[in-house]
Amino acid sequence: MDAALRQNQSNGILGNYQIPPQFLDEVFMAPGQVHPHYQAVYQQFQEFSKEDFKELNEHAKMSFFNQGITFSVYSDKSKGVERIFPFDLFPRIIPAQEWAHLEEGIIQRCVALNLFMQDIYSKQHILRDKVVPAELIFSSKNYLKAMLDFKPIGGIYNHISGTDLIKHSDGQYYVLEDNLRCPSGISYVLSNRVAMKRILFQMFRQFNVSTVQEYPQELLATMQSVAPKGIDAPTCVVLTPGVYNSAYFEHAFLALTMGVPLVEGRDLYVEKNFVYMKTINGPKRVDVVYRRLDDDFLDPMAFKPDSMLGVPGIMAAYKKGNVNLLNAPGTGFADDKAVYTYVPDIIRYYLQQEPILNNVHTYRCEKDDDFKYVLENMANLVIKPVDESGGYGILIGNKATKEQLAEFKTLVTENRRKYIAQPIMNLSMHATFIEGEDQFEPRHVDLRTFTLLGKDRQFVLKGGLSRVALKKGSLIVNSSQGGGSKDTWVMMENGAGMFMHQNGSTEQSMTMDGQTMTMGPQGMSIGTEGTMSMGKPGAE
Amino acid sequence: MKTEYEVVYRTHNTYEENVREAFFSFQVLPCQNESQVVRSVSLSNSLSADTFQHPNPFGFEVISLHTVEPFNTFEFEMRAIVEKDQTWFPVEGILTVEEEQRQLQDHLFYLENHLYLGFDHYTRIGDNYRPQLPMREPQETVYGFLQRLNSHVYELLEFDPEPTHVCTSANEVLKLRRGVCQDYTHLFLGIARLNRIPCRYVSGYLNQGLHLTGSAVMHAWAEAYIPGFGWQGFDPTNNLLADAHYIKATHGSDYADCSPIKGTIKTNGKQKTSYGVSVHPVQEASFALQEQTQSSFQE
Repeated sequence: MDAALRQNQSNGILGNYQIPPQFLDEVFMAPGQVHPHYQAVYQQFQEFSKEDFKELNEHAKMSFFNQGITFSVYSDKSKGVERIFPFDLFPRIIPAQEWAHLEEGIIQRCVALNLFMQDIYSKQHILRDKVVPAELIFSSKNYLKAMLDFKPIGGIYNHISGTDLIKHSDGQYYVLEDNLRCPSGISYVLSNRVAMKRILFQMFRQFNVSTVQEYPQELLATMQSVAPKGIDAPTCVVLTPGVYNSAYFEHAFLALTMGVPLVEGRDLYVEKNFVYMKTINGPKRVDVVYRRLDDDFLDPMAFKPDSMLGVPGIMAAYKKGNVNLLNAPGTGFADDKAVYTYVPDIIRYYLQQEPILNNVHTYRCEKDDDFKYVLENMANLVIKPVDESGGYGILIGNKATKEQLAEFKTLVTENRRKYIAQPIMNLSMHATFIEGEDQFEPRHVDLRTFTLLGKDRQFVLKGGLSRVALKKGSLIVNSSQGGGSKDTWVMMENGAGMFMHQNGSTEQSMTMDGQTMTMGPQGMSIGTEGTMSMGKPGAE
Repeated sequence: MKTEYEVVYRTHNTYEENVREAFFSFQVLPCQNESQVVRSVSLSNSLSADTFQHPNPFGFEVISLHTVEPFNTFEFEMRAIVEKDQTWFPVEGILTVEEEQRQLQDHLFYLENHLYLGFDHYTRIGDNYRPQLPMREPQETVYGFLQRLNSHVYELLEFDPEPTHVCTSANEVLKLRRGVCQDYTHLFLGIARLNRIPCRYVSGYLNQGLHLTGSAVMHAWAEAYIPGFGWQGFDPTNNLLADAHYIKATHGSDYADCSPIKGTIKTNGKQKTSYGVSVHPVQEASFALQEQTQSSFQE
């Protein structure tokens, strides 16, 4: 062992790393031994001293303040305080093959859920066939009458989906939630990448990481693909509830990066069932609205009558086909916790395929086998009532007292229809730099992915938001509750990819998918063996 | 026998401060169905704003207008000539009680009528009130039960516009035992649905010549589904069946789907709104209209 390495192990930032015994560690297999896809990054990080790394970490923080990437906290004490979402420099790495599987599964899920929404708002075949109980859908407050017998342009409801995944201690990914309303977080994905490149560019450029910065263009293309009939160059806008919304930065960021106007409800109005934007040059017709406003607030004529954030009459314009809204109103019933347990059945029903991604296994106490299992294994399960949300009436088996367990046994036995049970999921852990301790420690992570569905186009962002629970032992990754995030690297397939190279002289070459493009004083040439060249006229 | 009515809906709003921008929606047009035909409609408003229409989730036309011209008074008027045909009432004994129930319990029937079988803010009735509610007897027909329910609600409540408001629920009505046509109707809806009978909220107009309760303004009643027959209107406010004197505008799950006027305005001061209706058979309408609209304006 050479001297430098020995020094790193005693003083370095990764020297005292303790591998969590009962959880899956994304980086380490054994002390000092990392998974192959982390090897190169690990070696680079080992070279940092504590002081070096602390300085880099400060740079990263400043990068976020300077970019203005902050969120506001709603709690009373700190009202209006802008905070940065803590960023961790150690990237989360997902190998190409692992990602390919995830991507396939995410698309399958989003497509099936779209078909599900289409069906629920039209013929309701799945309810007729009793695959999903009708009461479950009709009792959801996000099931909207206003959407019945109406098909949005292109038949798409969940144009933007945020599928949340976790990696369990069995090494498999599980879907935790489908977010089909206004999933947020994409601005952090893109800014994390910018920060990563600013701080560790020399390191970053050595890896074949899939790009993420095309997301805004993909989103814009998705919007354009579902524009009203006969509109060649649609006017697209981002509709925000305003500066007091916690995700306002993201709304502004997306409008800016897509190059479309950011509007509030008061900037739009409806005249003769068309939507117009007030501009200094007079009214301008609006064709596609990416609205970051909840259904309730969208249109005081159709929903909550006292909403001042929405646009009166926009639902009528929407249903006349004169404007499109992303996501469609009324998607909320499909990402409901109770509906979640049926998603595998929903996939089988509409696609005649087996689900690619795992759902967290759910025991329905109404079924005899499940009921028996639940009673016998209560200490290792989470018990949830099907009809409540917000974490009420939940029992977490391994944290409950004997009395609580006994109480729930009675409750479940008395009303089997009302309860479901799930195994306690062990979120994987990832080495994360902890300020104060000034070293890397394992912390729980999840992964939010972003999927776009448009007319005849599908796109899954190769990357995502790896959220980290910074508090020791905590499983809560939300930004408002002490969560942070990491840049997420989806590696490209070997061979495919792009390398840039400057050979010390004035010539630059770029290799992409096996073809090399060289630019230099002699002109530009493309090809593996110079099959094509565009030289200066008269050059040799 | 056919009767022609002239139906007039008029609203008058005044504002302390200028209104800078406004959007109004009206669900006041008489609808067309087997028993009524709309011969003509004319709309006017004091702002000379162009109106436009769209169907609501139940297929009824909504009239909207948007204006950015400042104003402090606003008047809107809808005038329609409606031809009303004789209506048919259900005949008992077409289906047996068992056949009726088989239809009402059918899964597909439930899916088709779920919007009229659910319980929401207006129609949910607390468990504590259940024991005192009329429920269908095992051998009672649906029509028989609904008539009994109609009388029950009529006798239970006292007509009184004071204690209730547009948001009053069936639960509150049971506690107050008072209310207006909207409250009578929500209570009827809630109880009918507890008996698994699809039942919908109807908003419309009542012939003023009969001097029935609720005819001064837009009226509300219920339509319930009778197996083997179809939808029949019940007016618990007057303990009557809806007949040729009832001119329907819209129906929905409850009041929230049928409110006659909705608006969003940008202004600072207070506002005062009043509205009234006039509903008369055409031959006597010419002289009665003037007087009636004046006196029936509600502040």
